[in-house]
Amino acid sequence: MDTIIKGAIIYIFLLLIFRLSGKRTMYDVTVFDFVLLLIIAETTQQALLGDDFSLTNGLLLITTLIVLDIIISLLKQKYSPIEKLVDGGPMIIMDKGQLLKDRMQKERIDESDILESARDLHGLQRLDQIKYAILEKNGNITIIPQEKTS
Amino acid sequence: MPLYHCVIYMKKHNNELEIDEDMQLEHRTWVIQRISWVILFLILVAALLGFTGRGGVKGINKITRSTPSQSMEVEYDRFLRDEVEGEMKISLKNLKSTSPTIFFSKPFYDKIRVEEIVPEPEHIEIDQEGITYTFRTAKPESIILFYTKPMHVGNIQVITRGPDNETISMSHFVYP
Repeated sequence: MDTIIKGAIIYIFLLLIFRLSGKRTMYDVTVFDFVLLLIIAETTQQALLGDDFSLTNGLLLITTLIVLDIIISLLKQKYSPIEKLVDGGPMIIMDKGQLLKDRMQKERIDESDILESARDLHGLQRLDQIKYAILEKNGNITIIPQEKTS
Repeated sequence: MPLYHCVIYMKKHNNELEIDEDMQLEHRTWVIQRISWVILFLILVAALLGFTGRGGVKGINKITRSTPSQSMEVEYDRFLRDEVEGEMKISLKNLKSTSPTIFFSKPFYDKIRVEEIVPEPEHIEIDQEGITYTFRTAKPESIILFYTKPMHVGNIQVITRGPDNETISMSHFVYP
């Protein structure tokens, strides 16, 4: 019983803390983010297993996490407000070539992040070549280029 | 199935960009995020001060209590963690007997597991009220260390009684 409760608490805690840290936290893993991820994984493992390294405990934990994941995905599918609450939603950060600075500041995004996605996805060189930039719920920035005038 | 049955209507931004943008939710999320960042920071400050156990500022986590006659002093951690070992130091002064006894009320053996006692007691007695340790010492002053592990989450109230029959009340909070 202890294992299932621990697993559920850790799952919900991680879900909550990553949601609260913002969309950009888990996007584009830098060296520092990678180290952070490793430490979180190791700490979580120790908190979950404690000193019980038995096969039963491990299997129970995996089952708990998978079942929770299934429940959350079913809830998200059935009720869209829950999906928005858990995953967030997309947000326009550049509208018809105009940077929406307030939104960018709140989401900790700067022009270089938009340019990086523009280069990466479309090989664009300048901001004025971008029509829309959208911050997706997974933290990625989607770029829609300006239509080419002939 | 005809294709029109599968069409999901989405909001159009500028009459061209289909996007399910919810700025009301985003604004709310930003407020909640910023409040939660402050709370997370405060949790870290509280942990550094000792409110989550294991170290911190003296007087918050490390508590020292003495009996009125100062013949017994107990140093213990107020905040403990479930199944994590802690130390309790008992200093005895002005001993009149060579076999002093220390009594702990029932929660001590009910909710805490004693891993080790230094020096080892000569005699241990358990009854419905609590547990009594009898030690052997030739000196008028003695220090006894209890290495303990809490086995219960939540509040634990323990009363200890020294050789002079004076009591000290200890209050622990055990985190999961």
